[in-house]
Amino acid sequence: MAVPVAVKNALLPNRQVDRRVALALVAFWIAIAFLLWLAVPFATLPKPGEVWSALGSMWWQHGMGPELFTTLGLIADALLRTVIISLILSYATVIAALRPVVEAVSKLRFLGLTGLVVPFTLFFGGGHDLKVAMLTFGMTTFFVTSMAQVVMDIPREQFDHMRVLGAGELRILWEVVIRGTLDKALEIMRQNLAIGWALITMVEGISRAEGGLGALILNQNKHFRLAEVYAILLVILVVGLVLDYAIGLVGRVICPYAELERVRR
Amino acid sequence: MADGDVLLEVRDVSERLGNHQVLAKLTFDVRDRVRPGKVTGQLVALLGPSGVGKTRLLRLIAGLDRPDTGVVLGPKSQPIASGTVGVVFQNYILLRHRTVMGNLVTAGVANGMARGEARDKSSHLLERFGLADRGSYYPAQLSGGQRQRVAIAQQLVHQKTLLLMDEPFSGLDPAALDDVIKLIVEVAHMDELNTVIIVTHDIRAAMLVSDTLLMLGRDRAPDGKPIPGAHIQDSYNMVERGMAWRTDLELDPKFPALEREIKDRFRTL
Repeated sequence: MAVPVAVKNALLPNRQVDRRVALALVAFWIAIAFLLWLAVPFATLPKPGEVWSALGSMWWQHGMGPELFTTLGLIADALLRTVIISLILSYATVIAALRPVVEAVSKLRFLGLTGLVVPFTLFFGGGHDLKVAMLTFGMTTFFVTSMAQVVMDIPREQFDHMRVLGAGELRILWEVVIRGTLDKALEIMRQNLAIGWALITMVEGISRAEGGLGALILNQNKHFRLAEVYAILLVILVVGLVLDYAIGLVGRVICPYAELERVRR
Repeated sequence: MADGDVLLEVRDVSERLGNHQVLAKLTFDVRDRVRPGKVTGQLVALLGPSGVGKTRLLRLIAGLDRPDTGVVLGPKSQPIASGTVGVVFQNYILLRHRTVMGNLVTAGVANGMARGEARDKSSHLLERFGLADRGSYYPAQLSGGQRQRVAIAQQLVHQKTLLLMDEPFSGLDPAALDDVIKLIVEVAHMDELNTVIIVTHDIRAAMLVSDTLLMLGRDRAPDGKPIPGAHIQDSYNMVERGMAWRTDLELDPKFPALEREIKDRFRTL
């Protein structure tokens, strides 16, 4: 029996598949994952029905909606600060005197957040400010590392090109460094949002008074309510994916040329 | 300006890169070409083997680098005014985040033009270069030939008297090569004082397009090894040879003979 070309392409190395086949493959793997979930015999993994029921109970009776908005507010606050600080630092790499500072900030990513809880608490006094500071610190060190590299990698010809057009250094900074790397900045922001979102449960656990999904999940952990824990994890995953898609969409609208270059490649 | 007046003077220019002497005591000038009743710009081809220092020289003329010694001067032995030299880089660099029209307008505004004026000039140039329907395209949507034309047009939004082009013939098929030659000739003859300097190692295309050929190369030691520090080894005045400004040049029996002569000389550079 002849194997359809689409199936052949999906199974052989270095082949391309069209969008319809790609979507079918995603659906196939989701179905496999779901079936595996149903079949797994471990009692520590609640069944889909239990998680679904826990999700309804958490949302309607335990205020998961407001907690989700608390978490979203926290991540938005931290992300905004991260973007502002990181972009200023990254663009500052065009000034040789400031490069060591940027390099030092980048190296701080090796510190990790756990050891910083006490000094940050003493400095920021706990609560919302502490959580924002922790998240901002965690994301900034990675954002600066990636974005500073993007700026350093701009070919010299692009600066020369603007110079021969008669542009002054500030206009060159705007056109080549800021506008010219905007699509990459958005992509790095997308990656860092994922880092921040992954840190959220830990950071919200530090100070639970304000609530949030992190505090909610720790409370459920304490009482070993596994179905509820998985329901919250599911929400964290889905919201994370939606945020990721939304930033990708914004990037495609603001920087359509980046998509064109990808298509060309 | 009168026939023979100096428009560009490169005098005793030397440059080192680390321990390597790239250019040594390099001297040449470009003089005004005049044809009664015809607007005639200057077209100079700078020929030389790869790695000899052609692009270094281009950067010095453009004012992007300073020579270790020597000077680059404009008309009347005055320093070249800022913003009057355009460069079309080898890979036709454009602002990737701006449309074709945006690239041209930005070039004008960067040079101090009002946005409206820059837009009018850009529209005119796009029309002239056959790109009127590409104004809203991004560079990623253009073919190599279209990119090159946009890169040239971008340099012309603000009046440039000296346009430097780095390897404009590389990677072109014969039909595209003819188009580029026509375009360069058209750009050069837009104004009597225009000078286009083409850096290339394509001898045939250089002969077809230029009124002056300059050969950049290094001297040789008795054992045949090149001595560091390139300078102008030879100059071919195509006007004196009756081989400039002609569309039928390839049919002239003198053409293949001169091409052979230049090729032989090229091998010794």
